Amino acid sequence: MSNTKRLQDFLEKTGGLRRAIISILLAMMIGAFIVYLQGDDPIIAYTALFRSAFGSREAFFQTLTNSTPLIVTGIAAAITFRAGVVNLGVEGQLYIGGLAAALVGVYLEGIPPFLHILLALLAGCVASFIWAAPFQWLRVQFGANELVTTTLSNYVAILLTTYLVAYPFMKPGAPLAMTKNVLPSAFLPRLVHQGRLNVGFIIGAFLCVFVWYVINRSSLGFEFRMIGANKRFSHYVGIRVKRMQVFAMGLSGAVAGLAGAIEVLGTQHRFIQNISPGYGWVGVLVALMSSNNPIAVLPVGILFGALKTGGLGMEAATNVPSELSDVLQAIIILFFAANVVFPSFRKKPTQRKEIEEIAHLEES
Amino acid sequence: MQDSYAVELLNITKNFPGVLANDDVTLQVKKGQIHALVGENGAGKTTLMNILYGLVHPDSGRIRVDGNDVSIRSPRDAIGKGLGMVHQHFMLVSSYTTTQNIFLGHEINRFLIVDRKEAERQVQEISERYNLLVNPQAVIRDLPVGVQQRVEILKVLQRGANTIVLDEPTAVLTPQECDELFLIVRSLVADGKTVIIITHKLSEVKAISDCVTVLRRGRVIGTFLTKDISKEELASKMVGSNIPTAGERTKLKAGEFVLKTKDIVVRDKFNTEVVRKVSLSVRQGEIVTIAGVEGNGQMEFVEGVTGLRKTIAGQIFVCGKDVTNFSPDKVRQSGLAHVPGDRIATGTNFKASIADNLIAGRHRQFPFAKRGWINQKEKRKFSQELVEKYKIKTPNISVSAKTLSGGNLQKVVASREMSFDTPLLVVVQPTRGLDIASTGFIHEILLDMRNRNKAILLVSTELDEVFELSDRILVMYEGEIVGEFTPENVTREELGLYMAGVKRLPKTESESS
Repeated sequence: MSNTKRLQDFLEKTGGLRRAIISILLAMMIGAFIVYLQGDDPIIAYTALFRSAFGSREAFFQTLTNSTPLIVTGIAAAITFRAGVVNLGVEGQLYIGGLAAALVGVYLEGIPPFLHILLALLAGCVASFIWAAPFQWLRVQFGANELVTTTLSNYVAILLTTYLVAYPFMKPGAPLAMTKNVLPSAFLPRLVHQGRLNVGFIIGAFLCVFVWYVINRSSLGFEFRMIGANKRFSHYVGIRVKRMQVFAMGLSGAVAGLAGAIEVLGTQHRFIQNISPGYGWVGVLVALMSSNNPIAVLPVGILFGALKTGGLGMEAATNVPSELSDVLQAIIILFFAANVVFPSFRKKPTQRKEIEEIAHLEES
Repeated sequence: MQDSYAVELLNITKNFPGVLANDDVTLQVKKGQIHALVGENGAGKTTLMNILYGLVHPDSGRIRVDGNDVSIRSPRDAIGKGLGMVHQHFMLVSSYTTTQNIFLGHEINRFLIVDRKEAERQVQEISERYNLLVNPQAVIRDLPVGVQQRVEILKVLQRGANTIVLDEPTAVLTPQECDELFLIVRSLVADGKTVIIITHKLSEVKAISDCVTVLRRGRVIGTFLTKDISKEELASKMVGSNIPTAGERTKLKAGEFVLKTKDIVVRDKFNTEVVRKVSLSVRQGEIVTIAGVEGNGQMEFVEGVTGLRKTIAGQIFVCGKDVTNFSPDKVRQSGLAHVPGDRIATGTNFKASIADNLIAGRHRQFPFAKRGWINQKEKRKFSQELVEKYKIKTPNISVSAKTLSGGNLQKVVASREMSFDTPLLVVVQPTRGLDIASTGFIHEILLDMRNRNKAILLVSTELDEVFELSDRILVMYEGEIVGEFTPENVTREELGLYMAGVKRLPKTESESS
């Protein structure tokens, strides 16, 4: 194999990574310009950002803590995307799962620690599975677009859980709507003495590998992939497309619920109103930027977690507001989605005929 | 004038990952001639023409048009040089009219408003000049395939093509439509155009071409004057060995009924009844063929039987079990495998690897799956076996299916479905786009299955295939069975009349049951 061929192969295989790096660099450049317009020194701002995210052990652990919910919700979104389903209700599913886990953590007394954690996590998964799956059922049975129904389901889920912790399950005398504290037997073990890094991150990292394995190596994952790539073919070879899509939505919900449960049991130790500042939405973006590859969700999740951590540190050290992190995140996604790559790496002419053929098929 | 070349491709070499598609290929096409380019699947015909049309760039070699060196970087360049291409899969917008399609992308404008009248007038003019009769205002999806092809040709002519490449133009046509196409091609040449026709049907080469170039495995085997070479010689040059003959046919044993349909009614997506009360049966050890011109309800009938489409009325029995309106997985479980007519969107998953395509449907069965996990080793072994057995041309089994040529895709579908070895096999156009060797191979396997007492329902528009394989022939016309024959008691001409709807048998209540 010639060197150019090798280079071509390499470029093809690393296409997503290259796209991600280029998007990040471009976003940094634009971010620098914004900082400069504000009258601050971009270099100082970025140094502060980087240092607060990765500069010390504590900083790094904080980054990992912040990335945990993004990784888990990222996995949740990636599962449905692979199966040709769009789950935009990740945020609401996180709330449902978080509350279910909190209730088990608060009210189930006298259970050994390990078992208690398991039950609480499981409660989060099951509750969100049951919450999420029906939306896809509505899709396959009546054609109600899941993109719309799951998006709307967020409002219902968030308001419903807020009501529940504001009235039936409210901790008496608390200033905000929240549950009582979870019993210590249901706390996710911390991994470090200082800071909140806990086993939740390990669960998230393990999930990335496990879900990759399920999607690429199991019969279930095979069906998801086939459905995601070609529904008609899947139906024809005997895959029960509708049922599998409902199941995919349920699984995705379960993982989103797990994210909520981890947040409750590992970080907050109670369910509190507005528990998530939009983790589920960032999770959808993480999945997008990982091209729905569960393994890639891990680094992308950490990247976005680092932006969050670094932004806060940067705000403390300079005049630049932490919102710059959100701006950077948005620009990265924008460039990535727009597929900004060197023009020569774009669709090669040899692929054009295929594309035309496919276009023709889709149209007919 | 007689000896000047319209198009010359000189010493073209093109390497695709793992495949040398063109190896020092030289093709010179004389002006005003019909030049046939023949070869098996993967011989490099389509690659060569894609190079000429600017869709693929050669690694080395030169292209000359009218004796001048040219560089063709894109189809736009090619069109500018007077080259036109009619693809095997038509590239028409089905909801647009003929005229809209022909002028798509370069509409005639008058003060920024599309001048429809003028465009239609021009279409009329060209179509009359070349006997390409079309209605300028007809909507594409209402037109039969043969007419759609004319629209493609008109599109090319309208853009000023002097040399026209037809890529397997007869693959989707009925015998009658083929004859019409040949008339058109002759009138083009009479008007001074040059035509390159890609095909692997040798009878067509003999019928229409002046010159023929044979490609095999990316190399030119030779260029001949058509009148100087026989079909048999051409075939052996194409295949490079002796032509395989279809397998042995044992005497028909009347076995059990494996497929039985009773008064099936199916509607298409426009809600018109395209299958009207079709009753038929297939027994063990029997190949029953539904012959007919494409678009007479065969596809919808098969989709109804296999569970891909809802039937409005009637009953379907597979292996004695009522499977009416069962989902495809349940129908398959009752003992059916299915090679669909649409190999690209239904039969294969373009985005998935060859191995995944081959294993689909078995992904929950032992030994490919154990406790829900797919055994990678078994998957690779099985796929590798099918690739070798069916000679699927691919660099390896992990490339995606979309990298395969049409014929190889067909082999992927056929190999997967035939290897299920079910009591009933429903096959639609199993050899469409396949070369002689592969066609023979598929026929051999079908006959072998038949001899081993499997029941086969074949849908075919190719009369050669119909006569070669069938124990019984049913003719479908406008959604109804209009004739039933054995290959011995009907001639091709007779069958053609039934297919065209000129003749039909009186309706009978039940056939052969």
